[in-house]
Amino acid sequence: MKKVVVIGSLGVIVYYLLSAFVAIPFGADIIKGVKEFYLQKSPDDLKVANVVTSIVVNFRGFDTLGEVTVLFLASTALGSILYHRRSQHSGLNPQRTSVEASAIVQTGAKIIFPFTVILGAYIFIHGHLTPGGGFQGGAIIATGFLLMLISYRKFFIKHNALTWIEAIAGSTFVILGLFGLIYAKNHDFLENFLPAGKLNDLLSGGIIGIIYIAVGFKVGAEITGILDTLLTVKETGLDPEEN
Amino acid sequence: MVITDPVYFIALPLLTAFLLPLFGKIYKPLIGIIPGLVFAFLAYISFDLYLNLVPGKPIIIQMAGWAPPWGINLVFSEFSGLIVTLITFLAFLVWVYSYNFKKVGFDNSKKYFTLLMLMVAGSIGVVLTGDIFNMFVFLEITAIYSYGLTAFYKGRDSAEAAFKYLLLGSLSSVFILLAILLLYKQVGTLNMADIAVKAQSIDPKMKSIIAILFFVGLGIEAEMFPMNGWVPDAYSQAPGPVAASFAGMLAKSGIYALIRVFYTVLEVKGVFDLLLIMGLLTIIFAEFSAMRQKHLRRMLAYSSIGQMGLIMVAFSFNTKAGIFAGLFLMFNHAIIKTLLFLSSGFLTYSTKQKKIRDLDGFGKIMPFTSLMFGLGAFAIVGLPPFSGFWGKLNMLVATADSNLYFVIALILLVAVVEIVYYFKVIGRLYFRQQHKDVEVHNPTWNAILAMSILAIVIIGVGIYPDLITDYLTKATNELFDKAGYIHSVLPNLSLN
Repeated sequence: MKKVVVIGSLGVIVYYLLSAFVAIPFGADIIKGVKEFYLQKSPDDLKVANVVTSIVVNFRGFDTLGEVTVLFLASTALGSILYHRRSQHSGLNPQRTSVEASAIVQTGAKIIFPFTVILGAYIFIHGHLTPGGGFQGGAIIATGFLLMLISYRKFFIKHNALTWIEAIAGSTFVILGLFGLIYAKNHDFLENFLPAGKLNDLLSGGIIGIIYIAVGFKVGAEITGILDTLLTVKETGLDPEEN
Repeated sequence: MVITDPVYFIALPLLTAFLLPLFGKIYKPLIGIIPGLVFAFLAYISFDLYLNLVPGKPIIIQMAGWAPPWGINLVFSEFSGLIVTLITFLAFLVWVYSYNFKKVGFDNSKKYFTLLMLMVAGSIGVVLTGDIFNMFVFLEITAIYSYGLTAFYKGRDSAEAAFKYLLLGSLSSVFILLAILLLYKQVGTLNMADIAVKAQSIDPKMKSIIAILFFVGLGIEAEMFPMNGWVPDAYSQAPGPVAASFAGMLAKSGIYALIRVFYTVLEVKGVFDLLLIMGLLTIIFAEFSAMRQKHLRRMLAYSSIGQMGLIMVAFSFNTKAGIFAGLFLMFNHAIIKTLLFLSSGFLTYSTKQKKIRDLDGFGKIMPFTSLMFGLGAFAIVGLPPFSGFWGKLNMLVATADSNLYFVIALILLVAVVEIVYYFKVIGRLYFRQQHKDVEVHNPTWNAILAMSILAIVIIGVGIYPDLITDYLTKATNELFDKAGYIHSVLPNLSLN
């Protein structure tokens, strides 16, 4: 009986949601509004070739600051909800939950790791020119670390270094924003106060590129920290995200 | 103008939270001191900004140099400014109460203060922002804060409570996000004032789907029945000051978002009737559950849900008197529930099982904390001369104005229920023989200071309500004046 009621009410919800979303034609140019303004202003005023980046970091930069904070919060709070109970009789301290990988995986990981990090760095440095950006680049860097974490049981990440990277990258974002209050034309938070440069140059877009690099560092450090928290059991203390 | 920009309310706590781990590496006590300085500064500038606000001229700032609707904007008006001032004031008091928490150790207090800073930034962001997607981002921040700090004390129960909240909170986020998506597809903008202008053109069927998604999503955050299963668990498992921050700040920003969306952004027929029914159900469910609770914290949590239901009912009248009463109730609930949670923190800390029957005779051994709890209980049930009385009185007047006599009967009935369960606790505190071998933890001086300030505010407003009624009236006028809001955000728009 209970199941019938649940399925029935889910069916009603799904029907109405689907009817709402089916009404949106796929791929058609239907949404009028702020879009045109963004498409026009990004190359003209901001000198940013990648319109997605200019929306993410400039037009809606305040949201991005919030999203970076969400990730920071998640990595800080994760240790409270998902943690491994400490086992009394384990020898290693701290200890990885996974087993040692085979020699093929280990050798491969060692070769691929530096290239993964370089690819990630390339993507967030060129965030304002090519597809991708801080979040994507940071996630790629974290993938490289994940590869090392699952290949080597003795590969440990220095939480001290992660803390420094997170703190400096996060505060760079906010401080660049606050500089906008003082130096920029309209005295607005997150407003560009550096010369915009020439479209398609690496040094174009003013603070947009710098902020995306900071986001890249922060996202990379945070996702790496989250992965490490999930994969490691610590002997001392009940708090797994403890340094 | 630079030093009093409302963006500091969000940028400064975020900056502090990012840098806090580094401060901890330099000198350990800094992780407690720096948040206090920031909260004091925020409380100061919020009072300063709010008191100097020119009526009808909210402070509107834009982000990154783009005027709304293209950029994100913050609106510090009579209504949002009032809530922000309340939040910064309570945040400072919660800090005063908790900065001396030696027993939890360095790393836990680092986590606590970092998350507290972010929560304050998030709940202020929800209130200040004039952009619907930005509101979603800040709601996410407050939600993740709650998951993290509900599980502050590691154990089965708190992990379960946090996980329950995580599931419901994610559901809420998904619903709000879907609503925003559909809304953006319809109007092509995310600015609240711009949506309000263009919302008339939305197809009514689509509009009601969007409204229901918003209603459910924000209802979870605002502790609405039946989506509030997470509340009792989260409130009873989280540490005292965290529970106080849930009741005082998070619930406030949740209800603010609900009100702002349905008063200003989307005008949907019948949504206020739905709010009235859900509010009444919330009250009935919560108050009768509170009566049956054996744990002090769970009782306070259910009572908190009941108060939120009352606030929803007040706002559902859609009249000036109703909004005024709702704001008064919000103010009372924030101040009084914070006092109750802060004092119950020390009461339950001294008992073994946190049960109400363990509190026998605490009036003698913990006189100050018991007195504060008693004062809070008297205030929340609405006895004069405390501020709770004026809130309930205005509520009854507003209900009578709307000719909803059965609601008056219900509110009075519920007040009796509240008196029963609060007085049960007070009776145990003062008129029972105390148990043997009770380990007494007397409050620290900073906790006494924080509780005394709250008590003074409660009595002060109770004796002389004109202290705040003027500001509440201004906030009411601001919320009721939708055209004024749109006009001040989008001054170049011609309303036709």
